[in-house]
Amino acid sequence: MGVNSSIAYRELQANPFRPWAARITSITQLTDKERLFEFRLIDEVVRDAFDFEAGQFMELSIFGVGEAPISISSAPSKQGFIELCVRNSGTVTGALHEKQCGDIVGLRGPFGNGFPFEEMKGHDVLLVAGGLGIAPLKSLINHIHDERHEFGKVTILLGARNPGEILFHEEFKMWKHREDFDLIMTVDQPDDTWDGDVGLVTKLFDKIELDPKNTYGAICGPPVMYRYVIEEMRKKNLDVDHIFMSFERRMKCGIGMCGHCGVGHQYACIDGPVFSYWEAMNLQEAM
Amino acid sequence: MFFRILHKGNVGDLVTGLAATREIVGPKAKGEDFVFGEITDPSELVLDYPTTILPPKKYFLLPKENLMHYDTKNSGVSQDAPNVTPRVIFGVHPCDINSLLLVDKVFLGDFVDPYYKARRDNTLIIGVSCMPTPSCMCNAFGTGEVNQGFDLFLTDLGDRYFVSCSSVEGADMLDKFVETREVEPQDMKAFQERTKAWEEAFTPAPDITQLPLLFDAKYNDPLWEEIGDDCLSCGACSAVCPTCYCFDVNDRQDADGQGGNRVRTWDSCCFSSFAEVAQGHNFRAQKAARVRYRFYHKQWGYLSKFGKVLCVGCGRCTKACKVNINPRRVIEALVKGGE
Ligand SMILES: Cc1cc2nc3c(=O)[nH]c(=O)nc-3n(C[C@H](O)[C@H](O)[C@H](O)COP(=O)(O)OP(=O)(O)OC[C@H]3O[C@@H](n4cnc5c(N)ncnc54)[C@H](O)[C@@H]3O)c2cc1C
Ligand code: SF4
Ligand code: SF4
Ligand code: FES
Repeated sequence: MGVNSSIAYRELQANPFRPWAARITSITQLTDKERLFEFRLIDEVVRDAFDFEAGQFMELSIFGVGEAPISISSAPSKQGFIELCVRNSGTVTGALHEKQCGDIVGLRGPFGNGFPFEEMKGHDVLLVAGGLGIAPLKSLINHIHDERHEFGKVTILLGARNPGEILFHEEFKMWKHREDFDLIMTVDQPDDTWDGDVGLVTKLFDKIELDPKNTYGAICGPPVMYRYVIEEMRKKNLDVDHIFMSFERRMKCGIGMCGHCGVGHQYACIDGPVFSYWEAMNLQEAM
Repeated sequence: MFFRILHKGNVGDLVTGLAATREIVGPKAKGEDFVFGEITDPSELVLDYPTTILPPKKYFLLPKENLMHYDTKNSGVSQDAPNVTPRVIFGVHPCDINSLLLVDKVFLGDFVDPYYKARRDNTLIIGVSCMPTPSCMCNAFGTGEVNQGFDLFLTDLGDRYFVSCSSVEGADMLDKFVETREVEPQDMKAFQERTKAWEEAFTPAPDITQLPLLFDAKYNDPLWEEIGDDCLSCGACSAVCPTCYCFDVNDRQDADGQGGNRVRTWDSCCFSSFAEVAQGHNFRAQKAARVRYRFYHKQWGYLSKFGKVLCVGCGRCTKACKVNINPRRVIEALVKGGE
């Protein structure tokens, strides 16, 4: 361990606002607006110390522009690299989209809590994603994939506005043919290439069978989606404390200090972003 | 903790003694008002004052601060050494001492803010007793008394102070710089009389026992529209509040474009953009929702985490708000159930 890196490691503990330099190691264009970025933390000690849970997020820095919270898409088992699936939606994410492979950005984290992976083990899992909501769920899906034998039936429901906006289409197409994941996709606006379902993601609940007492649900998508998906899950008799969802709020610190991410009496950055429905139904302004 | 008696005429010695190694800050007159500012001459210090415009928060969470300098070309950052001046803050009222203990829980909790911490560690606090003004309501929150969070605390007994000393640094100051004497029975008697007079001077406290319940039960009560409609979204209440800690962070480029500073500034949940997220969705677009959130967070949100209310009843927001929105009005409206 070099002198510089051991100092760096101590600083890692000392200043939670400090971003670490990370190199972009690959960029994949997923749709018109979304790209998958793979990063490698440059400092070796920081990289080795880095560990996270599916559902946690990073604060991404583009210096001179600012920071934005982005969920980690890769599975915790993928050591040494961090994948972020980023939509070009504003100043920081727009500036990231202008970067090339090999460029350096800042990352700090991981922050927030994850999906209760250990608690989910031994059960069936139902994952529901709308649009970009697949980003944090992909981390969970990949993690489940890596320890597939620990889980029962895994069902994934995926909704998007149109076929062009489906993220990780190729990867999911591959999974669709596997026996151990049930994947159903739907779009609001089909085109000539589409032979899948049409309509909102809630429509897919008619097509699935669940063992309610043995199933965990996980949801991520735009704010309007939660209420309707939960209604369907409740109709299928899933328990309120077996349903988990990830919330998006404005964030300026990620560590419970700046106050921006308040949801009722909680902060999305430290009490979430993953909340159980049991917690969320008792939170003001949650859904 | 131990106790001494300090004659008022000797306070200047304490100031002069401490000035050799520290910046002296304390309440001083500014027009009709009082502010915490640097004291260069002991005569500027006014220990018998009602309330300052801004609380001592500004010495720990700076209104504007560079967190780090970045270099755009290499995407490297260097942390700015926290900007620290060893200080002693004189004349801090009990509510303001209590407010710092509340803000500490946020900045020195699971995550530690090194900038805030460095300044906390390098600041001595000398508290002073006060008499309530009409807008004070520390009697509702139990924040009018302190037994920690200071080095020395001075209780005014007319011609002398009853000094409570609760740290090694406090004991050092007394040893080194100033003459004090032992506490005698007549001092204890004067102390008790003073405490009684203080208790009796308050406007009766509103009933806060049911507040968390009421906040949830009356979340959709029209009272929020009635109060919130008046709000100017000016953020003055947050700026003067000793327990408001929200901040914004932005990058400011240097003129040469090669680098710049990541800057933290005070923010307020009363501002309209505070809770806006991508695609323009705003979780608190209405003024009523923002006013409600501010009180909700203070009187219930923080409580759910730390077991205390995030308001010390200093009354500064009551004076700062141009449209008469304040904790007493809100609490009374909640208790009554609408206005
Ligand atoms: C836990 C979490 C996980 C997330 N995961 C992902 C992810 O995996 N992928 C992803 O792409 N996104 C993700 N996001 C969303 C992302 O953080 C936001 O879209 C973020 O705003 C993008 O930052 P930006 O600087 O590019 O956009 P901004 O420049 O911040 O613009 C975004 C929007 O915010 C508003 N806005 C911003 N600043 C202001 C202002 N000063 N005044 C008024 N309005 C303003 C505008 O409405 C604008 O449209 C996540 C968010 C959270 C909280
Ligand atoms: S809310 Fe008002 S009374 Fe309470 S601490 Fe803040 S400024 Fe003082
Ligand atoms: S409550 Fe009063 S001081 Fe606070 S933002 Fe509204 S108008 Fe301004
Ligand atoms: S992002 Fe700052 S408190 Fe949550």
